[in-house]
Amino acid sequence: MAEVRYYDIRCVRGEVTLVDIDNGVVESAGTSFFNKAVIRVLGSNGWGILTRDHVDIDSKRELNSLVEAASRLAAVTQDRLGLADAPRGVLPVPPLGEDPRDIDLEEKTRLLAGIEGAARVLGVGNTRARYTEGIDSVRFLDSSGNEYAYEAVRSGFSVIAIASKNGVMQMGSERDHITTGFNLRGKHDLGRKAGEVAVSLLDAKLAKGGTKRAVLDPELAGVFTHEAVGHASEGDLVREGASVLGGKIGERIGCEGLVIVDDPTLHEFGFIPVDAEGVAVQRTEIIRDGILSSYLHNRETLAAVGNGIPGHARAEHGAPPIVRMSNTFIENGDAAYDEILAECKDGILLIGSRGGQVDPGRGVFQFNAEYGYLVEGGETTDMVRDVSLSGEILSTLHNIVLVGNDRKMSPGYCGKGGQSVPVSDGAPHLLLENATIGGRGE
Amino acid sequence: MNGEDLIERVLREGGRRADEVEVFYARGESISTEIKKGIIGTAEESEAWSMAVRTVKDGRIGFSSTGDPDRWKECLDAALASGGLATPQQWGGFPKPANLTSTASSSDGDLIVAVEDAAGMVGDLLSGAAEHPVEVVGGGANLARSYLMVANTSGVLYGMDRTVAAVSLEAIREQSTGYEFDASPFRADIDARSVGEQAASLAARSLSGRDIETGRYDVVLSPIAAASILGQVILPALSGRNVKAGRSFLADKIGEQVFDERLSVYDDPFVPGLGSTTWDAEGVPTRRLVFVEQGVLRQFAYDLKTGYRYGEGSTGSAVRSGGEPPGIGFHNLFVDGPREKEPGDERVVWVHDVVGAHTANPFSGDFSVEISNPFWMEGGDLVEPIRTAMLSGNVFEMLREIGGLGKDTRRVGRLTIPSIRLNNQQIIGK
Repeated sequence: MAEVRYYDIRCVRGEVTLVDIDNGVVESAGTSFFNKAVIRVLGSNGWGILTRDHVDIDSKRELNSLVEAASRLAAVTQDRLGLADAPRGVLPVPPLGEDPRDIDLEEKTRLLAGIEGAARVLGVGNTRARYTEGIDSVRFLDSSGNEYAYEAVRSGFSVIAIASKNGVMQMGSERDHITTGFNLRGKHDLGRKAGEVAVSLLDAKLAKGGTKRAVLDPELAGVFTHEAVGHASEGDLVREGASVLGGKIGERIGCEGLVIVDDPTLHEFGFIPVDAEGVAVQRTEIIRDGILSSYLHNRETLAAVGNGIPGHARAEHGAPPIVRMSNTFIENGDAAYDEILAECKDGILLIGSRGGQVDPGRGVFQFNAEYGYLVEGGETTDMVRDVSLSGEILSTLHNIVLVGNDRKMSPGYCGKGGQSVPVSDGAPHLLLENATIGGRGE
Repeated sequence: MNGEDLIERVLREGGRRADEVEVFYARGESISTEIKKGIIGTAEESEAWSMAVRTVKDGRIGFSSTGDPDRWKECLDAALASGGLATPQQWGGFPKPANLTSTASSSDGDLIVAVEDAAGMVGDLLSGAAEHPVEVVGGGANLARSYLMVANTSGVLYGMDRTVAAVSLEAIREQSTGYEFDASPFRADIDARSVGEQAASLAARSLSGRDIETGRYDVVLSPIAAASILGQVILPALSGRNVKAGRSFLADKIGEQVFDERLSVYDDPFVPGLGSTTWDAEGVPTRRLVFVEQGVLRQFAYDLKTGYRYGEGSTGSAVRSGGEPPGIGFHNLFVDGPREKEPGDERVVWVHDVVGAHTANPFSGDFSVEISNPFWMEGGDLVEPIRTAMLSGNVFEMLREIGGLGKDTRRVGRLTIPSIRLNNQQIIGK
């Protein structure tokens, strides 16, 4: 057998339940099953990785043959990697308020239909709601004798409403996902909100692009934190020279008082009891008082780059672990929301997120708000739609003028390297100076 | 038991408990070698197995899937239970066996899923990138082979091979990045060296871009940028499901001139490509579909479920991804039209790619994205890099009158598309 410095195997067996309701029609409601294993071997240089469906982790013989096959793959790698020592430990999984497995599919479908129905306010022509539930049974063992098992339960939904008038079509959407129990009860208000936003956007103006002062709501500011800072602080990107934050530890990259954290221990949607390499998770302050202080690491990037905290390896089932965020946020400052609006004077308030993207190497990000309001004389006036924000990571953090005191977290899924994992992000309201706003209004 | 014998068993067992049963089965292997810091960092091999089951009883469609052959019974039970909750609909049955006379190839008999071959492709990528003074920060090569099968209780049993060879490379020089990629069923189509060279060239040449003033400019979207923006907006608008649900801007516009007369959009499942096939993901024979002919909207795409529900009939447009139920999609989509002149003859802003295309509004067509590797183009040549900027507009409006199509048609996934010149577009400088 080729050299094996280390190996691990991670098996995730589970079920996914989806309910899809489109304009009152139950399109599908059902459960599917998966059982995926990833075997990694660190050879004399880099990783050889195997992914398989349905592996018997308890069979010594099967494990040995998989390790041998992975070691042959590792033999073609050239990049000599080391693995840093890292603390071990598994946090308890938060207790489930109500276990979604105790509720039958019929009731889930009925509850989702209620949320979908609530979105159908006057003026809305189409509604769609989707329930997603995942039960993952995770087992891990490695060649250093570490072994763990835990179960993750996720439950949540999204709802979309589309309103149209005179050929104009507008959308409102809401979502809520948790990892602490069943999450379909008492949520009609979110359905209604999606409907109301869609209808009011019909009469919203097109935003005018340009450089101006912008107030970001907690959801959009959270996406900003995730896209603009979180990704660029990921140790793998730093190691590969693909992040503008590389080599900047100890430097001031943001305004005084700015604290940006990734914390997998919080019982938010990005919670993990232990990372995908068996490393204990802990709160990581990426930026402390405006100064870049830690990268997010797995064992390999910690060894190569240093200056950071391990425990940030995550993997979608059936995929190898990579450095990821979990719950990423800007800590509260002391400005009240009214004060932020007053200080903005004339600018734009951006609300909600339709997603974003970043090129961490170039240090450029872009994301879209769901909608916004013009701010005139410190007060919100007309509603605007199809408005986006872009900028450069290194300058934008200096442009944060005020940090609010009303932080809120929002759940979502983050994609990287073809893998999607549950995350949450958040912030208080922020006031940005010299923000580049995209919009096609004249 | 995890091949045809299992499929037969599920059909037999399921057939006793439902009116109809369908099994979609996929197995595959793939090898990928990934670049880390300019050399091979990881090598990965995957073997995948999956089975998806649909049952129909009294017009109620049930679905489940499993990656574990031992759970086939649970999977069948789950599909039947799921059908119990689905809203009943008009249903005319799964397709019967058809005499498939067309041919479509998406499999390369010479493609070997071997780590040595993937490593060789990485070598070619890197030697191409070495022609410019850049650092390679990522990328890799992937070789895959899969076997897909669809079977139903009406007697359909089709199977096909698919292969994929894919490469990508990301290079950086200071704060200037360049990314290029290519994928094809045929190993010989992939020129890894050229992909590496192109990515490195973009990173090297985009350095020290000059600022651009906010204003209106003539713009050329490269095939990649055009694919990103159009893919996000045009493809969903052609889905029959979105049309019937009132989610498509193009609904009720059949027969109307919706785009410039120089633009046609069609799906051709019979030309060699990543999505080539003679039957769709539900076993319906595929056909060439012209959605937009010289700017006039001709038809939409349907699968069985949406087709039966609205009396339109399937257009053979069902596709599947992962363990999800089939949905409406495209096999090999083309954006095509006459190439009258080089689209960048005069001074224009050339855009290689965009950041954030997925945030475009698929219903209204409005978008505002960050542009990547923009250049001033003169006489068809990239003459000077532009620093960074945003491009805002509306996809449906901008396609109503285009400035022309380029001769640089290329594959971008399942879409084949040339560069598109658009006049008088809004760019927001920094």
